[in-house]
Amino acid sequence: MSVPPSDPVPAEALELRESASRERREKLSSFLSDWQAVAGLVLVVAFFASAIFAPWLAPYDPNAMDIPARMSGPSWDHIAGTDQLGRDTFSRILHGGRVALYIAAIGVSASLVVGLVLGMIAGYGPRWLDNLLLLLFDAVRSFPAVILALATVALTGPSLTVVLAIVIITTIPSYARVARTATMALRHTEFILAERSLGASTPRILFHHVMPNVIGPLLILAAMEVPVVVSIEAGLSFLGIGVLPPQASWGTILNEGYLVIRDTPWMVIAGGIPLILTTLGFTFLGEALRDLFDPRMGRGR
Amino acid sequence: MTDDTLLNIDGLTLDFRTNRGRVKALRDISFPVRKGRILGIVGESGSGKSTVLWSILGLLAGNAEVMAGRIDFEGRDLLKLTPEALRAIRGEQISVVFQDPMTSQIPVLPYARQMSDILYRRTMSDNEKRKAAVEMLRRVGIPDSDSRVDAYPHEFSGGMRQRAGIAMSMLTGPNLLLADEPTTALDVTMEAQMIGLMRGLREDFETTIVVVSHNLGLIAEMCDDVVVMYAGEVVETGEVHDIFHNARHPYTRALLECDPARIADVSRKLPVIPGDIPDLTRPLPGCIFATRCQRVMPECSSLAPPLVPRGTGVARCHLLDGPLADPAWPPPPEVPTVARDAGEPVPPQVRRTAEPLLDVSDLNVRFRTMGPVRARIRGVSDPFVDAVLDVSLDVKPGETVALVGESGSGKTTLGRTILNLQQAAGGVVRFEGKDILGMKESRFKPLRRDMAMMFQDPVGSLSPRKSVRALITEPLVIHGAEGRNLDTEAERLADMVRLPRGFLARYPHELSGGQARRVGVARALALNPRLIVADEPTAGLDVSVQGEILNLMADLQAEHGLSYLIITHNLPVVRHIADRIAIMYLGRIVEEGPAAEVFAAPAHPYTRALVDGVPQPDPDRRRPPAAAIEGEVPSLLRRPTGCDFVSRCPLAREECRMAKPAHRNIAPDHRHACLFPLRKTPELTETA
Repeated sequence: MSVPPSDPVPAEALELRESASRERREKLSSFLSDWQAVAGLVLVVAFFASAIFAPWLAPYDPNAMDIPARMSGPSWDHIAGTDQLGRDTFSRILHGGRVALYIAAIGVSASLVVGLVLGMIAGYGPRWLDNLLLLLFDAVRSFPAVILALATVALTGPSLTVVLAIVIITTIPSYARVARTATMALRHTEFILAERSLGASTPRILFHHVMPNVIGPLLILAAMEVPVVVSIEAGLSFLGIGVLPPQASWGTILNEGYLVIRDTPWMVIAGGIPLILTTLGFTFLGEALRDLFDPRMGRGR
Repeated sequence: MTDDTLLNIDGLTLDFRTNRGRVKALRDISFPVRKGRILGIVGESGSGKSTVLWSILGLLAGNAEVMAGRIDFEGRDLLKLTPEALRAIRGEQISVVFQDPMTSQIPVLPYARQMSDILYRRTMSDNEKRKAAVEMLRRVGIPDSDSRVDAYPHEFSGGMRQRAGIAMSMLTGPNLLLADEPTTALDVTMEAQMIGLMRGLREDFETTIVVVSHNLGLIAEMCDDVVVMYAGEVVETGEVHDIFHNARHPYTRALLECDPARIADVSRKLPVIPGDIPDLTRPLPGCIFATRCQRVMPECSSLAPPLVPRGTGVARCHLLDGPLADPAWPPPPEVPTVARDAGEPVPPQVRRTAEPLLDVSDLNVRFRTMGPVRARIRGVSDPFVDAVLDVSLDVKPGETVALVGESGSGKTTLGRTILNLQQAAGGVVRFEGKDILGMKESRFKPLRRDMAMMFQDPVGSLSPRKSVRALITEPLVIHGAEGRNLDTEAERLADMVRLPRGFLARYPHELSGGQARRVGVARALALNPRLIVADEPTAGLDVSVQGEILNLMADLQAEHGLSYLIITHNLPVVRHIADRIAIMYLGRIVEEGPAAEVFAAPAHPYTRALVDGVPQPDPDRRRPPAAAIEGEVPSLLRRPTGCDFVSRCPLAREECRMAKPAHRNIAPDHRHACLFPLRKTPELTETA
């Protein structure tokens, strides 16, 4: 019988490990040679850093009023100008970023987790459960987020918690659908059958064997969803049903700027730029990640 | 290059650029293809046999780079042609028969359209093109071809689809037909038909055929010339008789000896070629086969072997010529050159008197064909098909029972139903006397310690994101591994299936088929089961590796007193490992008995067709003409009312069409379901 020499770690295994790390290096270098990926990464890092370190980066208290300097344009004292109460717009943008990050981080991760679990259950469970969950997803998706928020706020009054809840509920279906389709494709594969033949329980199959194979596309989707969530928050705050004044948010800055746009355009510009940059950053990053993990879907240019 | 050479490959050297480095996939490939002959390229996976085929047509993957060599066809070097010139040759002068007709034909176009599109260069009217298509379909044996030409690929059965694929490739009247594993996707009985068809076409159209296959039987039966490839090199070429009766290269010799169909005496231990193919990214001085050769000499790994001619062929080996030549090589065909196995012979452990471990009686499995509402609307009273029909079978402790059938015979479904992975419609399954059919999973779970399953696809049945360590200890985790050290357990199991411990850190996609199969065996054995249901344990494995797995299974059986229920279509393998054989056709067992007896003197005509249908790796032993049975396995939706086999049986009579024949015993342990069995007495007829 062929017992290969009992070398503790065969040379080819070592080589394989080596080749795996070489592959990782190559992937990294191809990632870094894509200007969109780098731009995305820089913008996303900037978004996180400015939001987290806002209290230290902001030159003024975001709510400190300086009436004599109200509605000034950009200057050395106030690099993004001031609003109608003389508050420093730059400081307010930095603090508004905190709100955006808070909503994005909690909203995206919560709906990712819930969507993943529901999607796997729909894809793996019995047909009736799948149909029921699909009906639920479609029902939720048929409401535009803003309309749903307006209706909810009419009942509860405006608050950040409501915004968060709306964001989570309305984005769950997109994750769930992706997870469901991927799970269904795995459901009848031999390795899942093999797990069943060993006596693995359904939760074990789902979390140990299905999840690692479906989570990749979901993470990419999550990166792409961040700007959606950020703009929902900004939109709702703009309409006055999200973050309440005086707390700063990109949406409230835009709203206040909109009221005084005939006097000064600077507030609208200053409130819009971070939104645009965040959206671009996460979209670039998401696309680059998709190219990295799924070369088949690479851009056909 | 002589007059009768149609295509000449000379010094073809080709690299694949991968992120592991340059893989030297082909090195100095040279052989002629002679006009009007069928040339077979045979080799195991990784030998580069398909790469040679695709380089003829210039259809290589994007990362392939031809480093040297030429391919001469009708006075031109195909490697230097412009893409336009190459396109003019493809399909017209050289065409291809693909392995899988399902994926190589356009699903949304009828054959008439697909085939007239192939004739796009011809100035023919649509009517003439259609006529040509009908005529060619008729020629390849498709009945009612003038109406079937309007069918879509999905309306054809597997065998008919491959016939249509051959018709498409022959439509333009090519000089050279390339066939890539043309029968691998087909059943044994269909394979015999395809070999006959392609040989017939060669006679009628004077086409030269190059066929690539790993199947020695197919090569022996179909080809005139043979090229043997190993790890990207041609090790031996020659006429089919020379290769199969007087192989000169140690690899050819070993490959032939490993084929279970060639081994006359029944033996539980099969010969193997130890080791793996070398890493082709490294420089390879000397003989490519040196690392696995039984006759290796110190010089073999450094000195390139000489090219020794014989007749129209060559062989590349130090044993044949030069200072290292051994006049005693090659030894006569009776003398084995490959070690059988160092292990001691297996003591028979079968206790025939024991109560059956697994006892299946009258098991039925039905599949729904349409929803209840649609069935009501369409007026279908019975919207089910019987995948498994009244099957009775038992497995005794320490016994190996083989369940043999073609695709669609319900053998896999039966295996899954026994393990409670598939719902049954009726019947009884007893394990150690306990009725287990339809048990709730929570109650069945403890039984899974005693009954394990090995799945068909060695790599695909392993969870892709888990390491080998996690995979082989998973059964222990699932069934509670209190107090066990999982690392030691992993090493124990790896040692048991002779998997080097370094592989524990690997992932399934980094394993070869044989290594992945060992992981599958380790998983099945982790809980010390009493019964293993093995679904095609040798599927996807090379001839030289399948022996290792079967020997391992036999050793483990002897050691642990395991019982096996082996589900397979591979009769030659079964003959060596099974105590009893059950033949299944359309979900019903048509014959069951001791392995030796079933092989030597089958009672059911279907069994005989299967036994005779196996292509023999011996060019002189053509199968008896009556052996090739007509047609193919009918769809379960069109189960005949009488005997299931009646539509294909050469001996069918009127009575056979009336009712299903009941099972009858011709010996206490040998039964069949045929009204007019080929033999009625239990005596073994030696002439059969």
